[in-house]
Amino acid sequence: MGWYEKTKHSIRYFLLRRLPTCQATAELISRSLERPLTWRERVTLKLHLWICVWCLWYLEHLQIIRQTMLKRGAEVPETDYPAGPTLSAEARARIKRQLANLQ
Amino acid sequence: MSEAQRTAPDQTPDFAAWVDVHGDYLFKYALFRLRDASAAEDAVQETFLAALKAYERFQGRGSERTWLVGILKHKITDHFRRITREAPIGEDADDGPEHKEFFRGAGEWTGHWEAEHAPSDWHATPAELLEQSDFFRVFNDCLSPLPQRTASAFTLREVDGLTSEEICAALNISVNNLWVMLHRARLHLRNCLEINWFKRPTDEH
Repeated sequence: MGWYEKTKHSIRYFLLRRLPTCQATAELISRSLERPLTWRERVTLKLHLWICVWCLWYLEHLQIIRQTMLKRGAEVPETDYPAGPTLSAEARARIKRQLANLQ
Repeated sequence: MSEAQRTAPDQTPDFAAWVDVHGDYLFKYALFRLRDASAAEDAVQETFLAALKAYERFQGRGSERTWLVGILKHKITDHFRRITREAPIGEDADDGPEHKEFFRGAGEWTGHWEAEHAPSDWHATPAELLEQSDFFRVFNDCLSPLPQRTASAFTLREVDGLTSEEICAALNISVNNLWVMLHRARLHLRNCLEINWFKRPTDEH
């Protein structure tokens, strides 16, 4: 290891020992999807993500889940699940019966 | 509108036909959110009955389907509200597993990721996942073990994109309670998806 890598390693180690843990950071990452973080929270999170790829992936995964589900929720593809599920024949008949009773 | 017009045969929509045209669409929409076939059927039924009663106000303005989906959304929120009312709320209310085992419990790196539960690179984009309907089946299975309240809150937040304030009002919970529930749901889901989808055994050997 050259001096650059050694210095970088020491800085990362130093930060990892002093920053909030991954457990606390995971909770902060979830909060960041719900409300703006304070200045202090933002700096701590940025530093933690700089040295911890696991938490970086955690944030990325939460974003992937959010974007995928929001898109999937906005549109119900007509051709989705070609083999079903559909409204059962019983439910269909029941609803039609009730509508006829009300009309 | 005159009484004669209202009672004219071609003025009354054929509601039975609506069930055939829109029934499956509404059912899929509800099932994706409620994850329970009988609850989804009930929501669809309530939607059609409400539509029949409220038809005078709609009077064919705009798209039928959009109007029906609008009613269905309210019925789904009502369902979540009912569940929340039935669930015990208090100190022992179950918000879902804390998953402390994901993090080291002792030693120099206490509170940091346990290697076997640490996130790994998914190599996936939302566009790719949307193409794979099996992904949503796994997603559904992963959401199912969570307490109803937590799964409902997560669905309203991430599938319907409601704000924290709207969800708290609908489910009658505090914003801090909601954030705890969302955090636990995310911890659980991310791990479950990683194990059952992103790291699933493939046919390659």
